[in-house]
Amino acid sequence: MPKVVIPPPYRGSTEGNTQVEVDGVNVAQCLEAVDQRYPGFFPLVVDDDGSVQRFVKLFVNGEQLDAGEELHTAISAEDEVEILAAIAGG
Amino acid sequence: MSGPSGDKLIYVDMNDQSVDIRDFPEQWKLLGGRGLSAKILLAECDPSCDPLGPDNVLVMAGGVLGGTAAPTSGRISIGGKSPLTGGIKEASSGGQPGQHLMKLGYRGIVVKGQPADAEKRYALEVTGDGVKVVAADDHKGKWNYALCEDLHGQYPATASFITCGPAGEARLTGASVATTDQDNRYPARHAGRGGLGAVMGSKGLKYVAVDPGKASVRQASDREAFGALCKSYTKGYLAGGQMFKTGTASIVPVANMLHTFPYKNRVEGQSPDAANLDGARIVESFESRGGMMHNCMTGCIVKCSNVVNDAKGEYKTSALEFETLTLLGATCAVASWEDVADMDRLCDEMGLDTIETGAAIAVLMDAGQMEWGDADAMRKLIAEIPEGTDRGNAVGNGAVATGKFTGHHRVPEAKGQAIPAWDPRPLKATGVSYCTSPMGADHTAGLIVNPGLAPDQFAWESQKVQIINTVCDSSGFCQFLQPNLDDIRAFYGALYGEEVSREAIHDQGWQVLEDEWEFNRQAGFTPADDKLADCMGQDAVGAEGAKVVFDVPAETIQAVFKRMPAQEELFTGRASG
Repeated sequence: MPKVVIPPPYRGSTEGNTQVEVDGVNVAQCLEAVDQRYPGFFPLVVDDDGSVQRFVKLFVNGEQLDAGEELHTAISAEDEVEILAAIAGG
Repeated sequence: MSGPSGDKLIYVDMNDQSVDIRDFPEQWKLLGGRGLSAKILLAECDPSCDPLGPDNVLVMAGGVLGGTAAPTSGRISIGGKSPLTGGIKEASSGGQPGQHLMKLGYRGIVVKGQPADAEKRYALEVTGDGVKVVAADDHKGKWNYALCEDLHGQYPATASFITCGPAGEARLTGASVATTDQDNRYPARHAGRGGLGAVMGSKGLKYVAVDPGKASVRQASDREAFGALCKSYTKGYLAGGQMFKTGTASIVPVANMLHTFPYKNRVEGQSPDAANLDGARIVESFESRGGMMHNCMTGCIVKCSNVVNDAKGEYKTSALEFETLTLLGATCAVASWEDVADMDRLCDEMGLDTIETGAAIAVLMDAGQMEWGDADAMRKLIAEIPEGTDRGNAVGNGAVATGKFTGHHRVPEAKGQAIPAWDPRPLKATGVSYCTSPMGADHTAGLIVNPGLAPDQFAWESQKVQIINTVCDSSGFCQFLQPNLDDIRAFYGALYGEEVSREAIHDQGWQVLEDEWEFNRQAGFTPADDKLADCMGQDAVGAEGAKVVFDVPAETIQAVFKRMPAQEELFTGRASG
């Protein structure tokens, strides 16, 4: 099963879990599957318009996904979806 | 070790305005920035001294990698005994002076004493030809931008400046130390926290001018290896997420979602005005107003700094950051980023920490002495701060002073310093950092944005991040570059031609913390001081049904002071501030 790696800022929504195994054939389905288990997770990654939040970057197996195409990217059973969320003070 | 050699330290005695240039100790080669400041302060500053008296010591120090070709490595640390917390303080700033000092071979400036005549103003001039103190009475009382405009005409275009605004001259304990931007002109970068601007002002030092002239980049022991490391590191960074490409202000929405965008003196964790305070609005304004993202120092690859123009397309301020939007914005119920931009500029003009000032005004509003969200009243108040009005003095002296002035009970602070945006209730491990950091409530000391962290991990996470950030702040690297300890020791090794082990870098970070904690112990701090204000344990924030307070037990907090065995993530975890 594909794995979704949860970034530290979002682990409150996943009860501290650092990664979640899900069913899904593309990135969007994987994220929705995490949300089914942990309601409230999906909006942290995807905005109301269905686009990836601008403070989030998505990677599959370490490769950053192209902007605008991220959610449609095909995922296989061995893949790892990683979410990077901006955090900084300033 | 080979590598850069012949470094010096500048000692300035403000009692008689004399300068002494000393050799930089060989054994301190890997001490810079925060670590160097801590070492000097513990050895040479009486921790029980009056922070605004002659016995305090003001340190300005570049990082170990400053002045080299390492990317984003030119930050400067300002250190001293804080008049705000009463403990040791280091505040870091970007801009040019750190790199310029290092290119000239000066690892730091140590300022002692105090002029007999408190009305006199002086400047320190540092060039390739020498160092001297000169009279600067003509610049007395100048706001920072006017001062730097005048200095720009007075000194060569290659000179950068470290300045003290009118708030520092008035010795207000919320005062910052300003440094000039990449073009050496705008005093837009600030070592904001802890009131070190007041220490600079107490020494009669209006500014430091650093002119590197044609001084070259500091060269490593093995130029080829160091150059290759710089290139590969930069390539790796640019291939990554580059999360700060649109500035720290762009994280307002995520902070709001996580209930760490505090509203109305932190009685709530979310602001209804988050969309208007979102940095995305600033980036959108670039198209019509001509602002931009840029780097605050030469050689920076992060480029997180926004340049904010007004509606006429004229420069207003830089950088308008997340913390400022939170404290001068949401926490005071201000609904417009443009109003916050005005106040950011005013704080930069006065030389005031935007976090402390915003927190103080929020206390004033919470006490009923100003309307929530009244940006006009806030602008007037900030402008009156150097005039010495009672209310201005209270706010200029920070949140705790404003709490005393108003008699108001809700003052979110730790060790006398206002809590920054990142809230210790949803982010309890960050709260542990605020309790245990020698710096008081300071997110750059140990930010941990992980609301799902298990309580038994709080102490380790806090100790780990505090060590990483301490080493980062000693290296000259910017925390937003997010280097880890393995990265930093690789750069150190290439710079001096000798491997720096994991154990050695761990030792170094821990020793800096130990030096700082020891300073605070000698200043009178006890474990009873390792706590947050009561309101953080009483006023809950969070989603309905899941509201939280800061309730970490004292034994967890005290565990941070005992060195724990290193785990892999100590060396691979990234700086976070």
